[in-house]
Amino acid sequence: MIHSQKHSIITAAVIVLATLLASTANAAQTLDVRDEGQLHYTGSTGSLLREEGTATGTLPGQLYVHFVYNGSLTVTAQFTIDGHGWSLTGHGTGTLSSPNSASPSFRGPLTITGGSGRYSHAYSTGGELFGVFYRRSPKHKYALTVQTLGELHY
Amino acid sequence: MRQAYALVAAVALLSCFVATARATQTAKLTATFTPDRLNTPTTITFAIQITADGQVPAPLTGIDLRYPLNLGLATSELGLATCQPQQLKTYGPPGCPANSIMGHGSALAEIAIGPEPLKETATITLLAGPPQEGHLDILVYAEGQTPVNAEILISALLIPEPPPYGGRLHFNIPLVPSLPDGPDVAITNLHTTLGPQGLTYHEHHHGKTITYHPDGILLPTTCPDGGFPFNATLTFLDGSNAQAKTTVPCPVRTRE
Repeated sequence: MIHSQKHSIITAAVIVLATLLASTANAAQTLDVRDEGQLHYTGSTGSLLREEGTATGTLPGQLYVHFVYNGSLTVTAQFTIDGHGWSLTGHGTGTLSSPNSASPSFRGPLTITGGSGRYSHAYSTGGELFGVFYRRSPKHKYALTVQTLGELHY
Repeated sequence: MRQAYALVAAVALLSCFVATARATQTAKLTATFTPDRLNTPTTITFAIQITADGQVPAPLTGIDLRYPLNLGLATSELGLATCQPQQLKTYGPPGCPANSIMGHGSALAEIAIGPEPLKETATITLLAGPPQEGHLDILVYAEGQTPVNAEILISALLIPEPPPYGGRLHFNIPLVPSLPDGPDVAITNLHTTLGPQGLTYHEHHHGKTITYHPDGILLPTTCPDGGFPFNATLTFLDGSNAQAKTTVPCPVRTRE
């Protein structure tokens, strides 16, 4: 009787554990992201600048940005990060704080809209974008430095 | 007797028409690129000529100057410092940083006094001002000396526009009084550059001041079909509008 009771308890525990493991495997995971990108200018069409560089931090990879600076104080950026076997895409907007300077800075919200590989269902919350755009720089003309903060759910 | 009254009435009516007849303002716009090469930073020169059937036109109150898509206006090196309007009003362009100057030009104005209108020329300087209403702002400082000693400060906001234009410069032009009890000054010609031609900027590098010519407005790598379109809408004090269009032809390809 005691043996049978012990067996039932172990069975129940195994079922509970298996259920827990299964639910964990299916649940969305969250990652606190803090990345920085150093980008260089690869070309432009009018107000749209194409930038490319390396992202370092939580999600390291190759970073591609389409940056629009068209005379309004709001700049926009569409980006893709290509990692090992995954990618993330999204966009951000920023308000320029000092447009008449050699290196205006901007800050605003950032949103992850999708991805591939392990991030195929990724989305973000609370994303923020910070950046500096180098209008006048002898070595790094039109370079961009960006920092991102936020939570990634996948 | 009745015929005489009718004649007097007709003459009076005709006089009324003559007195209140308004000349129609027409405008001509020209634009050029210097240098005129694709994928090269350039200076844009604009010229606007206003006529009114041989009369002095009504005073100009606003200009919306649309420029083509894919001009790298905001990504040029023009306007790397801010000129504060109060400094500009007090000291003129010398009161502002050299790195805030974005262009130069001239204007011709007429004042309808007497049988022949008085003419006045003014020098124009374009400077980067503090942003207004969420847009980059170009300050236009015009200074005339005779017969009317006047300095005018005009604000021109850089506003995005749908294709085929990339944006527009929206100028709010204040009225300029002429002589006491005289009419306001009427602008008849406006000619200005927007670009690095004739500009020298300064920067500090390892404790030294270096002078350089800022990069201009980058022309795209391809020319739009039919050339680069410009369009101006002018508004006048009498409530009328005038439209003017021009196209800068595609540059002739030269062998390197």
